[in-house]
Amino acid sequence: MTTSLSGKTAIAGVGYRQYKRGTAPWPERGVLVRAIVDACEDAGLDPADVDGFVSYGDDKNEPVRLMPDLGTKELNWSTQVWGGGGGGIAATFGIAASAILTGQAKAVVIFRALAEGNSGRLSAAVMAHHLNDHMVGVGMVAPAQVCAMRAQRLFEYHGVPHSVCEELVRASYYHGSRNPDAISYGKELDLEAFRTGRWIAEPFRLFDCSRENDGAGALLMVSAEMARDLKKTPVKLLSVAQGSEKGWGDLIENDRADLYPTAGFRAIRDKLYGMAGLTPADIDVVQLYENFSAQGVASLIDHGFCSYENVAEVLRFENLIAPSGGLPVNTSGGNLAHGFVHGFVTAVEAIRCLRGESPNLVPGAKTSLLAGGPGSPTISSAIFGVD
Amino acid sequence: MVQMVTGQLGAEGPYWDGLAEGRLVLQQCKRCGKWNWPAVWRCGDCGSWEHHWVEQPLTGTIFSWTRTHHRFGGTEGLELPFTTVLVTLETVPVRLQGLVEGAEEGIRIGAKVLGRIASTPFGDANIPSIRWSLA
Repeated sequence: MTTSLSGKTAIAGVGYRQYKRGTAPWPERGVLVRAIVDACEDAGLDPADVDGFVSYGDDKNEPVRLMPDLGTKELNWSTQVWGGGGGGIAATFGIAASAILTGQAKAVVIFRALAEGNSGRLSAAVMAHHLNDHMVGVGMVAPAQVCAMRAQRLFEYHGVPHSVCEELVRASYYHGSRNPDAISYGKELDLEAFRTGRWIAEPFRLFDCSRENDGAGALLMVSAEMARDLKKTPVKLLSVAQGSEKGWGDLIENDRADLYPTAGFRAIRDKLYGMAGLTPADIDVVQLYENFSAQGVASLIDHGFCSYENVAEVLRFENLIAPSGGLPVNTSGGNLAHGFVHGFVTAVEAIRCLRGESPNLVPGAKTSLLAGGPGSPTISSAIFGVD
Repeated sequence: MVQMVTGQLGAEGPYWDGLAEGRLVLQQCKRCGKWNWPAVWRCGDCGSWEHHWVEQPLTGTIFSWTRTHHRFGGTEGLELPFTTVLVTLETVPVRLQGLVEGAEEGIRIGAKVLGRIASTPFGDANIPSIRWSLA
């Protein structure tokens, strides 16, 4: 028997705390507790009643250690998605929903916490997960370099114009400049700085790359039925898919030639839209995990919003901004301009944009797509909706 | 047995032993002939556990490349900027990475390259790796 999880669970509470690197008021776990309690207060649920936790990306905060602060009565579900990058971010929703729909937990918090002083730099942590002698022997030690080499193929061989990256980054900064919580609040992208910024790893310059922040995020998931009795508009999980396919993965850059420049989402695209019964045209707003500009572009292509051929037509600044664009992307500023706590802000905004809480509202938005960490060996995405 | 400086050793021990001896050897399935890279213990296509390790010439074409300008931790043994290429070997359907040495003018996807085996300083270790030059 196949049981679809579509529409049966909902996000009922949102908590997100972000700080400039090195300025968090507490050690990492303290910031996480604060974000979880924020999410519970947002929903109107006693934090002691949270009985499940899910994270991703090698988070160091084992849920059992959160119990004293939260007053947890029962810990019924404590798990994490494999993978060192942001590839597991959206998969967390599927794990949480699976627990709830099979009666193994009732109220599950999806979280990620990162404070430099405690878990080190994110880029270093990601690479600690992936590094091997094949890579360090050729100077490849950072996500930026691995993604740069794939971006080079996307531009030079597949003919995607580099200019679309500027359009995407500009849209993120436009939204971030209008978000008081964003690192880029009040500052739109300086195009000259973008075009002439120092090289990091060609073809990436400084502003093609995400910057890291300290912080923590928490999203409270319950059954759709239980969500109706809580404070906020339930945002239902319509679909989620995670994984990889033959020819993609942790293959020392031996991915199948046509998959190599992608962000890896072709493996799950049909399952993702199929479970929701939707197509790319039905998505009102996209929250796009962009660790690097080109991987954001590749992810939008993978998710079917555009193709190698029409990418320059679709990824235009005017088309990517709320409220007027046809494909509003990263309405809070995304990783690049809102802030980067291992991508969690994209998950947070995927919920807020459907609750009418976005700093850049898309009027009447009913569906949002969370495109998870691109280019990871295993990837995931999710679609959310409101009635 | 060869020890890794970073990460886990997979099934590619003979590859590292080969580099240490100045030879490039790659793995081919004895039963179905597939060139498995990353190396495997069991061929995922035919199920065989038997493999050859076959020496290959260091010739190929650039599949992609990046030139690193930022001083990432762990690259202290290399002079900036340095260029890393991903090369499709001419003789077998395998891609190997390497650092570029010599003139870089005209570097592009599809350019032909020739390699030699060298090593890269990483902390206190020297990691065997390939240097490619534009042919």
